[in-house]
Amino acid sequence: MKLRFVTAILASVVSAALPAWERTAQAQEIELTGPLKGAPAVRHMRLYREGRFEIAPAVSFTLLDQYRRTILVGARLNYNITDWLALGAWGAYAPDAFISTTDLSDQIDRTAPRDALTAVNVNHTGTYPNYGAAPFQDQLAKLNWVVAPQLTFIPFRGKLAIFNKIFVDTDFYVAGGVGFVGIQERANCGEGGSELVCSDPKSFTLQSTMKIAPTFGIGLTFYPGDFWSLGVEYRALPFSWNLAGFDSRGSGPNGNFPDTKVNGEDETFHFNQLVTITVGFSFPTKPKISE
Amino acid sequence: MIQACRWLLLAAALVLLPQAAYTQKKKPPRGGEAAPPVTAPAGGAGAPVSADADADQPAPAGQTPGAPAADANAGVVDICQITPDAPQCVNVKEVNLGEEAKKPVRAEIYAVEQQYVMKAGRFEIQPYWEFTLNDQFVSHNGPGLALNYYITQVLAIGVNGNFYEGLNEDSDFNFQNRRSARIAVPLNQYQAAGDLNFTYVPMYGKFAGFGDFIFNYDAYIDGGGGVIRTRPEAIIDPNNRKFDWNNLINFDVGIGLRVFFSRWLAAGLEVRDMIFFDKLESLTVATGPTTPATAANSPLNPNTWYDNNTHFTNNVQLQVGISVFLPTSFDYRLPK
Repeated sequence: MKLRFVTAILASVVSAALPAWERTAQAQEIELTGPLKGAPAVRHMRLYREGRFEIAPAVSFTLLDQYRRTILVGARLNYNITDWLALGAWGAYAPDAFISTTDLSDQIDRTAPRDALTAVNVNHTGTYPNYGAAPFQDQLAKLNWVVAPQLTFIPFRGKLAIFNKIFVDTDFYVAGGVGFVGIQERANCGEGGSELVCSDPKSFTLQSTMKIAPTFGIGLTFYPGDFWSLGVEYRALPFSWNLAGFDSRGSGPNGNFPDTKVNGEDETFHFNQLVTITVGFSFPTKPKISE
Repeated sequence: MIQACRWLLLAAALVLLPQAAYTQKKKPPRGGEAAPPVTAPAGGAGAPVSADADADQPAPAGQTPGAPAADANAGVVDICQITPDAPQCVNVKEVNLGEEAKKPVRAEIYAVEQQYVMKAGRFEIQPYWEFTLNDQFVSHNGPGLALNYYITQVLAIGVNGNFYEGLNEDSDFNFQNRRSARIAVPLNQYQAAGDLNFTYVPMYGKFAGFGDFIFNYDAYIDGGGGVIRTRPEAIIDPNNRKFDWNNLINFDVGIGLRVFFSRWLAAGLEVRDMIFFDKLESLTVATGPTTPATAANSPLNPNTWYDNNTHFTNNVQLQVGISVFLPTSFDYRLPK
């Protein structure tokens, strides 16, 4: 008797619980009546992206630089599959004329001693005991070029009012992809064999190499006209490199002490941030208009 | 077993009872009853409209003549018949839609008809956390608080304060650089800063997210001046030098973005540059005798501890926080 009663109570609870789940679904139904019934959220919306190619000349500026500042010129190419998804690439190149040193680099160049204690780390002209000063900037790594195939996701679009007079359509996007980055950094030294000793003045020359790194960014695109747009973007390009060409790791506890060798162990992780300004041109020149 | 089945049937019946109520169709109006008169609130175009009443609702019929308004007001009448003393039923009068439709219409339509948040006359409390953006050697992260009063919709006056003491952090990069190049870079800590600011809000707008929801935002610039307290870390001669905090005049400029979750709550992001002339530790150590300590070239004389020149400093910080607007509700002067 007791077992039956318990069974019945449990069956009642399950029976009551099952439709309770259904009620949640019922509550989602919105019965819209009147002229807005079935209408899209936005009518006659300019679809600035859907089905259009975009070419956007771009200028990028590196941020939070420790030793060198770099300005890259390039372009972004996108094909906008839909109004919210684009496939493309960003590429940029930094001419030597657009690469400068920071105040820290200049101070090191001016004041760092050239002696036996710094012979492995600071550029010099001679050998013991006659170390002469050589330009510190010659050993500083450079960011030369970037090519980054990427996907761009555009979750938000809207409009912006400026001074209550100018109204401009705007969208917000997130881009992500793989960056192929051409850099120059101090060549490996100190391992023996064909490698130079790191205190040799010739060991301070730079060597070209390529890094592969993830890249992602966020940006705003403003559409003053149907054909062209303005954009501003923040981008990160994180990878490890040896910015100053120092021997800073490789021996001692956890390898945290210098080992008179310059190699991959001396590379440190950097977020490598850039801000990019673009002027975009879209083809076909007229955007589609939604229903 | 039979008893269990009875229990199950009873339970099923109990469960189905409320569901039957859900599926009832709306009863048609009783036959023979005259349609209720179309009414609208008596407030004219100049009467304030509560933002909390939801600005997305259709405007009252007296202000925007049209057929849809009649339906909306029919609901008002029903409520007023049941509870005549309800707030929306006070000062209700009959409106002849035909007469109203003949009135001239003000054809001017604004691109953005109503700003989501009215700021004029409201206080903004903005707690935030700041992150150093441009100091590679010492980070100056810490909490901050801004209080603003909006004189107009676009202009506010306020104060903000930052607290840094105990949160200044020497970077690993600084150590590596010092060890490798054998040079010392003077480092400064910050204790606190306070500024009087003006805020100007020239931009606002709204975004549709995923085509599904809409959020409003505005962007502002601010600027002002105040005091920042800094002191050098003793790097060059830590045995003899012990620095006190210095009060320095600073100017600050910033640009920020607020995304509104409601009419009184927003998330904020701001980049602010605090500009001042900082006093740095001298790179040279006085070589005179330590006694008396007040001797002009004594390494114990504080006058020998500082660099002769002040140094132009930009402390750029990213501020992430929330904004709370008080009072939490407001009235629109004009209907939507």
